[in-house]
Amino acid sequence: MKTSTFFILIGFLLLAPSSSTAEILRDKDCGSCHRLSVAETEKNFAAPDLHFAGDKFQPAWLKQFLKNPAVIRPAVTVIDTPPRPPVTVADANTAVVTAAGFLRERSGNSPPHPSFSEQDASALADGLMGLKISAPPRESTVAAPLSKRQRAKIKYKFERTFSCISCHQSLNLAGKVRGGISGPSLVNAGNRLRADWIVSWLKTPEAYAAKSRMPRYEMDSVTRNQFSQFLMTLKKENVK
Amino acid sequence: MKTSVTNMKKSCGNLFAAITALAVLAWGIGCGQSREEQATAPPPAQQEAEKVRPRKLESARVTENTRQTYQWYCAQCHGAEGKGDGVNAKFLTVPPRDHTKVAYLETRTDAQLFDAIKFGGLAVGRAPCMPAWGHTLDDDAIRSLVQYIRELCQCEAL
Repeated sequence: MKTSTFFILIGFLLLAPSSSTAEILRDKDCGSCHRLSVAETEKNFAAPDLHFAGDKFQPAWLKQFLKNPAVIRPAVTVIDTPPRPPVTVADANTAVVTAAGFLRERSGNSPPHPSFSEQDASALADGLMGLKISAPPRESTVAAPLSKRQRAKIKYKFERTFSCISCHQSLNLAGKVRGGISGPSLVNAGNRLRADWIVSWLKTPEAYAAKSRMPRYEMDSVTRNQFSQFLMTLKKENVK
Repeated sequence: MKTSVTNMKKSCGNLFAAITALAVLAWGIGCGQSREEQATAPPPAQQEAEKVRPRKLESARVTENTRQTYQWYCAQCHGAEGKGDGVNAKFLTVPPRDHTKVAYLETRTDAQLFDAIKFGGLAVGRAPCMPAWGHTLDDDAIRSLVQYIRELCQCEAL
């Protein structure tokens, strides 16, 4: 009897952290905005998918964000039907699907995200870091720091060859924020994202998102690694 | 002797100045064009349209899927109604094209619009802000987007 009570107690203690994460996720209704499971494919979510949070984020950043949230993507998705020309009868035969969801600029007073206490943020960050998908094997990433010249060349490619700056905020050579707002800001990507995840995302975006607004590119491994290295240099402490 | 060397230097200097002046004049006028020809030259967009090898684009239908595709991808910069006022518009160094503007779109052939979507702005001599969608959308989808742009501008290539 004593032995079984001991094992029940141990089992409870082992399960406690994950149930606490589950409670917070439920209490805060996180699932209404974020996809938390790869199986949830029917709905358009307004906030980023979190079912691969452990693959994507740096744990220290995630915890800090949950305590003091900041805007990551300046545009918000409105899950609604945008204004459009009338649909003809012929169109009805090839009809689609779900409403695309259009984008508008975030209003100044809308809170970026609920904030959590130190304890809850830790529990939640730990739980979210456990959410991973069986993604394709990761390429080895290059961690060597970039010279000023290398960085300038990659920045040129990032902005002009691949047009990333049209949808993502980045930092110019003077340390000023510039770029479009429909994609997540990359101003703090060096603290927020994992270098190997960036490479993996650029190689196989479909492994993470069924449908993204970002163009798909067939870039070579060298370019993927260069972009990952470049993004790792973008940190909010470098904003001037 | 000294005087003749100085005179030679002077005449070389005059010759150099004359050549430079001619070069500046030629550059100012343009590559073999007179000022009158320049003044009546067509706008750059039209000139480029004329240079492009004529290529007929297969016709495509605009379906609800085309509109959804436009809303999902293109509206980020070009706006939900194609007026060039998407959420990214005011942050771009070159404003996104207004797809309701007849004056410009009449000067573009369907093949040029197709190439701009498939290969990106830089590849067709336009702004690098426009990315290449050739690995995201297939040729049929791009052809139907070209037709949708024609619907938005209510115009055809001249």
